[in-house]
Amino acid sequence: MNLTIPSSQTVDLSTAIAPRDSRETVGQPFVDKARMECRDVDVSYGDTQAIYGVSLDIGSNEVMAMIGPSGCGKSTFLRCLNRMNDTIDSCRVSGSIELDGQDIYDKMVDVVPLRAQVGMVFQKPNPFPKSIYENIAYGPRIHGLASHKGDIDEIVETSLRKAGLWAEVKDRLDKPGTGLSGGQQQRLCIARTIAVSPEVILMDEPCSALDPIATARIEELIDELREHYTIAIVTHSMQQASRVSQRTAYFHLGYLIEVGATEQVFTTPQHRLTEEYITGRFG
Amino acid sequence: MSRLRTIDVVQGGLKKRYRFERLFRRLGLAAIILSLAFLSLLFISISMKGYTAFVQTFISITVHLDETKIDITNPGKAYYGSMVKEALRNALPEVQGRRDKRSLYGLISTGAEYQLRDMVMANPELIGTIQTVWVPADDDVDMLLKGHIDRHSPESERRISDKVIGWIDDLENQGVICKKFNTTFFSSGDSREPELAGIRGAAMGSLYTLLVTLAIAFPLGVGAAVYLEEFAPTNRWTDIIEVNINNLAAVPSIIFGLLGLAMFINFFGLPRSAPLVGGLVLSLMTLPTIIIAGRAALKAVPPSIREAALGIGASKVQMVMHHVLPLAMPGMLTGTIIGMAQALGETAPLLMIGMVAFIVDIPTALTDPAAVLPVQIYLWADSPERAFVEKTSAAIMVLLTFLICMNGAAVYLRRRFERRW
Amino acid sequence: MKGLKIGVALVAACMLTAGVAQARDYISVVGSSTVYPFATTVAERFGKTSSFKTPKIESTGSGGGLKLFCSGVGLQHPDITNASRRIKKSEYDRCQANGVKDIIEVKVGYDGIVMANSKKSPLLKLSRRDIYLALAKEVPNPKGGEELVENPYQIWSEVNPSLPNTKIKVLGPPPTSGTRDAFAELAVEGGCKTFPWLKAMKKQNKKHYKAVCRAVREDGVYVEAGENDNLIVQKLGADPIAVGVFGYSFLDQNADKVQGSMIEGVAPTFENISDGSYPVSRPLYFYVKKAHVDAVPAIKGYLAEFSSDQAWGEEGYLADKGMIPMPVEERASFADDIKILKPLEM
Repeated sequence: MNLTIPSSQTVDLSTAIAPRDSRETVGQPFVDKARMECRDVDVSYGDTQAIYGVSLDIGSNEVMAMIGPSGCGKSTFLRCLNRMNDTIDSCRVSGSIELDGQDIYDKMVDVVPLRAQVGMVFQKPNPFPKSIYENIAYGPRIHGLASHKGDIDEIVETSLRKAGLWAEVKDRLDKPGTGLSGGQQQRLCIARTIAVSPEVILMDEPCSALDPIATARIEELIDELREHYTIAIVTHSMQQASRVSQRTAYFHLGYLIEVGATEQVFTTPQHRLTEEYITGRFG
Repeated sequence: MSRLRTIDVVQGGLKKRYRFERLFRRLGLAAIILSLAFLSLLFISISMKGYTAFVQTFISITVHLDETKIDITNPGKAYYGSMVKEALRNALPEVQGRRDKRSLYGLISTGAEYQLRDMVMANPELIGTIQTVWVPADDDVDMLLKGHIDRHSPESERRISDKVIGWIDDLENQGVICKKFNTTFFSSGDSREPELAGIRGAAMGSLYTLLVTLAIAFPLGVGAAVYLEEFAPTNRWTDIIEVNINNLAAVPSIIFGLLGLAMFINFFGLPRSAPLVGGLVLSLMTLPTIIIAGRAALKAVPPSIREAALGIGASKVQMVMHHVLPLAMPGMLTGTIIGMAQALGETAPLLMIGMVAFIVDIPTALTDPAAVLPVQIYLWADSPERAFVEKTSAAIMVLLTFLICMNGAAVYLRRRFERRW
Repeated sequence: MKGLKIGVALVAACMLTAGVAQARDYISVVGSSTVYPFATTVAERFGKTSSFKTPKIESTGSGGGLKLFCSGVGLQHPDITNASRRIKKSEYDRCQANGVKDIIEVKVGYDGIVMANSKKSPLLKLSRRDIYLALAKEVPNPKGGEELVENPYQIWSEVNPSLPNTKIKVLGPPPTSGTRDAFAELAVEGGCKTFPWLKAMKKQNKKHYKAVCRAVREDGVYVEAGENDNLIVQKLGADPIAVGVFGYSFLDQNADKVQGSMIEGVAPTFENISDGSYPVSRPLYFYVKKAHVDAVPAIKGYLAEFSSDQAWGEEGYLADKGMIPMPVEERASFADDIKILKPLEM
């Protein structure tokens, strides 16, 4: 689907702030070197529509934060990006979502390789009830990325190193992954995701179940990972969004209200709703 | 409303709340104690009646394996009964008269002659020698010595006359009567003579039947549960199937027997009374239990594990096979074992397919005629001989042991393979 | 999914072996649970003394046995059925219709049906008329006249002043049992016949006569205690006023606990039943399919064992098990029938 965006729709910075009842997206939803391009995405569960016409780009090697009050559709939108919503029977997605120019909802696209390209880290750490080693090795093995034990060993080590967990677990790789602390489990899940070398990593409130110290570790990690991966993160914490992301999208009741550089969104929001949310008037 | 008043109201109602709580706990405890009492009553009464079946009275006789009576080329054809009778006459020479001699021969089980025959056939060199062998006593003697026949009751009221009791006492004084562990009970098939009856035939029949049941019901049940829970679309058809499966779990088991009779025996022409057919019928009966337990186990696997697998690109089948099924397996095995335990205790459907039968030979194949443990219990309970009362209780004890082992295995598997997440 | 494959292979295997399994090297016997203890004893002896396998004996009840027996000729059908009553015309016709042409009838002996109560209570001396009045569904009006009323009797002494002043409570087998049929026919109908006007009815309306004279009351006085005679014996021990109805062999084994009531002044003893003076006894039978005699070689041996004197004779082992032997001439006659395999004609 080709969509030409009329230039009049982008709002000039100098103009007045958009009113509360406006549902037009303000800011810069599009970038030049987009990794993922979403156009007019509607999502509904049965009769209830959850997302209304969201158009948004996620650029290469950037961290895109998605914020908004509970039930605003940010998680739903994130799960559309690797078709996790397919598992829900009543879920319908329309519009187009392209990864490197390929529509991921095309009939020809298989979700299995797609999810290898677009990995996901979930809200609650969910390691498999297997050993730490097996947790990491599982993905490469099913995708056939490595067949020799030596290769898999190497992938396990590099993935754990990238996730900053190697030093802590290298002596107990055969111990169950569920025996680690919450923060370690979440880093294990991140390591598991990067073990299949995805291009994009989706993170759905990865720190909501963690204490502040573990959260800080994950945030550092996200910053390091940006070098190699494109990351989209849903978060409830505005501080976290401002710390880790380059661009921020604000969702409200299924509408994408505002997108822009993180600093700009937090300092000079262009929509009344964004302003009220980040100043803590509601949400 | 002031803060003080809230506290007062709470304090005022507190007593009542705690009283209710205490009452509830006590009622629960009483319920448990009551059911435990009934259970132990059952166990105790069965063990009290049945433990004597594990010993058996034997009489030692000195037999002359007369070479003139045994054809050396065909020792199986000889009439060993006469040698047993001769031995008895020698042991109690004072017994005279036809009628008394007949009662005397009745002291020893009819199994004695077959025991001698088997002994000679296994070792023909014994022919012509004099051998002292322990042979089982008749069930009436056994009952008397175990105290199940009261020797002080009037003579007309018991099956053993005062004269015979005198002989038995005489033999006891000679030291040729003793009680030994009853190996026959565990090594032979059914018999109309209580002293020769054993449960091995029924136990083997149960084993074969359950093997067939397991081999059919488990893979089919797990397959059906996985398909229905993980892959089947939710529509009217799957709803109908689900309702039907739940219904089948509650269908009286005799219906499955009728179905088995019509389908496996009359239509496919499989043999009557065979463990194969019994297993097929019982697997039909157990399938719903396994499917329902399997689906519950699959539902209990947290969605986060499914998401984790799908999230790194596992296909749906990989997700199910690598993660969901292994996690659900303990629950499925528990369901299967409970279903099998249910099948082990079933007689009604087997009546229809001819497994409620007198079968002496121990089955060696799936198509041999066989009975199963509960059927054996049922048949013994219906036998007139007093000695079958203790056999019945002993067989119940064996069946209960099997059931306890199976349910214990279910608990063990659950503990051993249950994973926390 | 390895298990699934094994399961499928197994099912396929049984379908294939189905044809092979038809060949049978053992005798298949079905039928009455009353004859079962005797038939199994013979079968066991036969299995041990011959080179053949021990016959398989199913306890299906007389009616169920005859139904299976008459379902056809061929090794998937039983060779022999035991019955605690004679084959009915309708059953015989069914056999004929299904190609079971030649049937050999063998009477094996008699079984007494006893009414017994606990030894703690006084011995009952009953007549068949007492039994009829106490247990029939409808009885002649106690006030006189030739009309039937719902059975009003609740106490034995109401039936007959010489009987004790205790509640009537009879534990007996359910209608599916052959013992119950025989009891209704011999004892209840026997008492019914003692009323001349009821006996006259037999000639006018046989169906109605049977319905009246064999119907056992259903108001809770006659308690259906199941097919298990041991259970009835146990219940009698616990309940001194109850009277049980069961086969003689159970009385024989439990003579220390229960006593058999005298009927028409005759006690149910081995001697009285065998000489025919005890009125409530019935013959036991088995039926052999002639077409199977050659197909299953063991049958001839089994018949010979059953009809030998050491089995069904006066001193035979079946008598030890509680079966009442036939008189010598009757035994000889049936033994001859067996030798020439004389088919039954009805």
